[in-house]
Amino acid sequence: MSYSETVKDHLAHPRNAGELADADAVAELTNPACGDRLRLMLRIRDGRIAAARFLAYGCPPTLACGSALTSMLVGITPAEAALITRQQLIHTLDGLPARKNHAAALAIETLHAALLSHTAGVNGAQT
Amino acid sequence: MRRVYLDNSATTPVDPRVVEAMLPYLTEKFGNASSVHFYGQEARVALDRARREVAALINARPNELVFLSGGTEANNLAIRGIAESNAEHGRHIITSQIEHSAVRGVCDALEKRGWEVTRLPVYTDGIVRAADVRAALRPDTVLITVMLANNEIGTIQPVVEIGALVREEREARGRKYLWLHTDAVQAAGRMTVDVDALGCDLLSLSAHKLNAPKGAGALYVRRSVRLTPQSIGGHQERERRAGTESVPLLVAFGCAAALAREELPQRIEHLRRLRDEFERGVEARVSDIVYNGDRERRLPHLSNISFRFIEGEGLLINLDMQGVAVSTGSACSSGSLEPSPVIRALGRDDELARGSIRFSLGKDTTAEDIAYVLEVLPRAVENLRRLSPLYQKSLAGRACETTPA
Repeated sequence: MSYSETVKDHLAHPRNAGELADADAVAELTNPACGDRLRLMLRIRDGRIAAARFLAYGCPPTLACGSALTSMLVGITPAEAALITRQQLIHTLDGLPARKNHAAALAIETLHAALLSHTAGVNGAQT
Repeated sequence: MRRVYLDNSATTPVDPRVVEAMLPYLTEKFGNASSVHFYGQEARVALDRARREVAALINARPNELVFLSGGTEANNLAIRGIAESNAEHGRHIITSQIEHSAVRGVCDALEKRGWEVTRLPVYTDGIVRAADVRAALRPDTVLITVMLANNEIGTIQPVVEIGALVREEREARGRKYLWLHTDAVQAAGRMTVDVDALGCDLLSLSAHKLNAPKGAGALYVRRSVRLTPQSIGGHQERERRAGTESVPLLVAFGCAAALAREELPQRIEHLRRLRDEFERGVEARVSDIVYNGDRERRLPHLSNISFRFIEGEGLLINLDMQGVAVSTGSACSSGSLEPSPVIRALGRDDELARGSIRFSLGKDTTAEDIAYVLEVLPRAVENLRRLSPLYQKSLAGRACETTPA
């Protein structure tokens, strides 16, 4: 199995790792098949995602997806965030091994769950 | 960037002395060892010498060795060869839960074809019990195959005791059709391997774990043991393995075996000293680690450690990016969903099995290499733990414990 340089870079230098104080939207999902786990925390201010943090346990792609996804979220609206697709996330990482696409699926599902948890202002943006 | 190779259980670098020994057989000494003319005889002489050298490494007679392509082929020939040639006497095989995939795969395949397989447990120390072998013996058992030392955790199995048990069955109960095979691929060159002391009938060896190139191996077959060849169509290897012998690779194997025999005590001493130094260093620098497998009865070059709260492949890649090569029992690397069956057989939970890393040293590993790994490893573990929700929860739990009521 080989990973892109971008995946490895996210792994060696994770962006936005750690707990987020005053998070308005939080979700933690586990992939029941392999046990991978992703926790996503968002702080939403003035209708935009002001900060995003993650914690992850599992395969390198799961960690890299958490890191890459949080980087994509800062500055956009929850409505825009809800439109991010698995393919976009995989593209940002310069690809994932085919067997590892489930890592991106877990990340997007966790994002949707987090957005759902943030009732005010997000309900209208559900797609 | 400094590079440190701690994956010698996967393969070893080829010793320059071995390269030098084999080179003439890739160039001017290219003969087919089955040919009658000068070129063939030159190759034959080299092959005979290699056979004596490999035989000496395991205290066997040269004509008891079948040269072949490596450990996997040796295990295939041993297990299928014995199973097929003894099918009328019985179809029961005893093995362990921690065999290399080559043994595991052949046993699984035979099971599909009507053989019965008993897979013995290894307990938390990673060691099979001879008493369990005795209890599993049946009148129709024809083969016991238990590895000499495990490839992931290095634990040394009680093959000597099992060998004694087999002899007892033969002598006291007159059993004629019970054979003992051991996969010694990881053990050779890292501990004394003596087929008479072990009391085994078949034993598998691989050249590339002994600082020789990939593509060569041997199966020891004790005199008088009959087995069905798995490759036919030529008279090579006393009709037990058809196909032109790879003279250069086998010359290399012979040279590597001679060097391993000669240098064995120093190599063991060197490996154990560095490995123990490594483990002390890890203990001093990294919290929440669990050793996998018995730490006394194991090969001197190997350390298998589970790092709690993190997954092995992420750690492997972090180390690789800093020039350190290791391997992991995590499912990610193998491409399956299930983590290492060996670590699971120790009774470890999924998290520990996924977080297991094998560090395997080589004869050329230096104290500086170990010092560098000890510098890089704690940072890599810390890097991943900072990301881990499992670790954060454990930290929160510990903070609660230390808060006065």
